[in-house]
Amino acid sequence: MYVEAILVFLGEALIAIGVFFDIIASIGMLRLPDFYSRIHALTVGTIGGAVVPLIGVALLALGAPFLGVYRLYLAGAAIITAILLLMLAPTGTHVIARAAYRSGAAKPLYISIDELATKSEGRGGEKR
Amino acid sequence: MDLSTQITYFISAVIPLYFIAFILYFVRILRGPTIPDIVIAIDALGYDLAVFLAVLAILFKSPLLIPCPIVLALWIYALDIYVAKYLEAREIGA
Repeated sequence: MYVEAILVFLGEALIAIGVFFDIIASIGMLRLPDFYSRIHALTVGTIGGAVVPLIGVALLALGAPFLGVYRLYLAGAAIITAILLLMLAPTGTHVIARAAYRSGAAKPLYISIDELATKSEGRGGEKR
Repeated sequence: MDLSTQITYFISAVIPLYFIAFILYFVRILRGPTIPDIVIAIDALGYDLAVFLAVLAILFKSPLLIPCPIVLALWIYALDIYVAKYLEAREIGA
């Protein structure tokens, strides 16, 4: 009985933390002034707001009393999604940030020194 | 109190907070000045929806919902890649 209770409380704590990060990330996505600072809000919302609650869901499923066999399936799929997100989110964010910078679609507004513009990185770094 | 009722109360308390996050992301999607802004807002919304589906799978006590977040996360990643390819090289490799 204690193991289930511990797992359930741990899962619920992680889900609560995840929701907290999600709210913070969505507020940050609105309030942050510039595209490149909004990426920070995105990664907060992705890692803190998606991977952490998914692990919480997995623990909760393992400890939850409802239908015996399927909770293992649910926990496994949640952990797989969490691991996938850990791999996908950083690369996706990096790719979109680099494309935004190189194509000039999102100009860095709040910036004093733009090191990347001076040195020719990769394919010559298109001029904005 | 029984564990399953406690879980149900907890998750039904968490769901409105998820809706608040969805609405705020959706505001950024509508307002986003540049294309990459919209893309990262859709990213965040998509990953958030994936977690919401997983939480709903717990609430409805059935594993029917759980394969969908895996595919959703992969699709959101593919969206990033294609938009980035289009922005940089004006072609998607089709």
